[in-house]
Amino acid sequence: MKVFNKKGLSALAAVAILAAACGGSSASTAGKTLTIGISFPLNGSALASAGPARDGALLAIKEASIEGYTLKAKVLDHAKEGAHNPDQAAADMLTFVGDESVVAVVGPFNSASAKAQIPVSSEAGLLQCSPSNTNPALTKGEDGAALRGGRAVNYVRVATTDDLQGPAVAVYAKKNGAKKIYILDSTDAYGKGVADAFEAQFIADGGTVVGRTGLPTGTTDFSAVATAAKAADADSIFYGGVTSDGAPLFRNALAQAGLGALPFYGADGIYDGTGEGSYVAIAGANAENSYASQAAIENIPGKDAFNTKFKAEYGKDAEGYAYAGYACAQILVEGIKAAVTGGDVTRETVRAAVVDKGSAFETVLGAVSFDEVGDTTQRIISLYKVDGGAWKFVEEINYGN
Amino acid sequence: MATVNATSSSAGRLLGSLRLPIGIVAFLGISLTVLGIDQFVNALTLGAIYALVALGYTMVYGIIELINFAHGDVFMVGSFVAMFISSSLLGNEGAITNIPLLAGSVLVLFALTIGVMAIVGALIERLAYRPLRRAPRLAPLITAIGVSFILQNVIQFFFGPTIVTVPQLVPIEWSIEVSGSRVPLLNIFVIAASVALMFALQLFISRTRTGRAMRTTSMDRDASSLMGVDINRTIMITFLIGSGLAGAAGVVHGLYYGNTSFNLGFQSGLKAFTAAVLGGIGNTAGAALGGFLIAFIEVGASAFGYGRWGGAVVFSLLVIFLVFRPTGLLGSHSGDRA
Repeated sequence: MKVFNKKGLSALAAVAILAAACGGSSASTAGKTLTIGISFPLNGSALASAGPARDGALLAIKEASIEGYTLKAKVLDHAKEGAHNPDQAAADMLTFVGDESVVAVVGPFNSASAKAQIPVSSEAGLLQCSPSNTNPALTKGEDGAALRGGRAVNYVRVATTDDLQGPAVAVYAKKNGAKKIYILDSTDAYGKGVADAFEAQFIADGGTVVGRTGLPTGTTDFSAVATAAKAADADSIFYGGVTSDGAPLFRNALAQAGLGALPFYGADGIYDGTGEGSYVAIAGANAENSYASQAAIENIPGKDAFNTKFKAEYGKDAEGYAYAGYACAQILVEGIKAAVTGGDVTRETVRAAVVDKGSAFETVLGAVSFDEVGDTTQRIISLYKVDGGAWKFVEEINYGN
Repeated sequence: MATVNATSSSAGRLLGSLRLPIGIVAFLGISLTVLGIDQFVNALTLGAIYALVALGYTMVYGIIELINFAHGDVFMVGSFVAMFISSSLLGNEGAITNIPLLAGSVLVLFALTIGVMAIVGALIERLAYRPLRRAPRLAPLITAIGVSFILQNVIQFFFGPTIVTVPQLVPIEWSIEVSGSRVPLLNIFVIAASVALMFALQLFISRTRTGRAMRTTSMDRDASSLMGVDINRTIMITFLIGSGLAGAAGVVHGLYYGNTSFNLGFQSGLKAFTAAVLGGIGNTAGAALGGFLIAFIEVGASAFGYGRWGGAVVFSLLVIFLVFRPTGLLGSHSGDRA
């Protein structure tokens, strides 16, 4: 017990010293050091997808220079046991709010963490930019207004929203010759939602839905729905759901029913690379002629130059959300510069400079501007096809401003 | 007068004994007409797998009145053991078109998997259930749930949390024509193998000395013990057989679907348990019947676009049976019980 007390005391003392040091440094350099917070899940399996976004953001902050100020980055990791943790994400946002030098934050990576962070950041009026959140309810309509507590918009994102993916795939499927589609969904919010959006657009464009049903996560037998698709004489298939809901099992069952040659459409739920447990790995040869989407731009202006720069910095290739993370930091730096030009750098002036700018930011993703709720007006859905055992980019659909 | 009575009652008895076969034939006929041959074959195949798993539930319940919640996961482990034997030990990568080689590979696969799983089942009984045999009934039930989690975590540790592919040894292109429809030989093989195993089990229970010991133990454990039946040995053999059948179901699952995952056992286990209750828990023929019934409901729901309600119908049926006919379709009378 005594030992514990000693340890506890020494820990307390260390915290006190640290706090004093922090307080001291911020007091002595007040107005000189500006910090951009970076909030991502950065350990375990979450690191593979969020790590590139962090690296991109750090690179942009390193490159930036603001006259009269020192710009710093502060990275906090909200992954627990290898997965993003919304509670920790909210706690990290509180840490940023409590650090007076933090004027803006890049992150988070997952929509569920954003849901936990936005109420905290909006109350403090702290600007944040997510490279990857796609859930429409974070910003749009009553849900979005409730999340920011009716306050001014302080959250922007450079990824477009999920509600455009289903329609984009429908437009592409129609163009690709689909007339009679059979639709299966995973019965949950994501799977049924994206399938509903797909169905509405496909019918609006004059297509016929020859059958539709749903099978929940955990289903192993897809032979009956495959046979139903065959009996309905479908010429194409749409699956709303993610790989672990059973997308590749459905694809295999279709092949077993003799429908292996039909085009198979999905959204970003099956666009998960070619690693262990991915759609392509499980469906194997049957994955050929499958199509998927992603709510992000593929053809980035000046991609090669960025890749060279990124590789020189980190010794590895830029991938996934590295570009979007870089773009977010670019936008925040622009906002800070505008506030500096205005003569008063506070969280509010930085927030206003980004949210109320009214014109586009020039970023690595191209021109990006935000609508009245903070969503990007760069509404581009990229489409991919499995060809030779890997996803290949086929085209993008631009929903314009 | 007396003669007439005798005749009518013996005719009634004849009708009574024929009621089940007539019912089954009528059900199959109606299903075939409503579903069409393709979906009918799908349902029979799925039913065969459910039935194999359901047998393990019903045998264990019959003999020690334990709902062995870990049994679905024993089936799951069986599918992984089959995958490991097939791809790592036998080096299979896909379909085998050479018929003698295919037959040999499949036989070895069945024999090894059933053997391994029988040992796993007996170990679970010895380590987790036997020490609790005299404990209150809640204790082994909780233990069974614990065993279920242990099995899932062990598999997750070795094979990861994702869906794993299994070599499909029987070529899926092989098929025969039945009245204009293409029926894959794979489905016929799955159904035939499962039905053969079920018949073998029935013969074992009704004809062998050990089978008789299993029946008497389920009727009255103490009396059987007094008559010289080794109760511990009999119960262990029940677990050996039930888990061996789950292993066979695991082999069949892999051959038919070409994949497995660590959480396969939960849903399949729940369905198989429901099948056992529908058929009359403790009754082996009833469990098989229940498995087929559930498969026909699910396939029918998917075939007509009501896939998302399949589970609701199956489990509503379970509730209805529990309320109005708790002894199930065939009843859990001890004569058929094992």
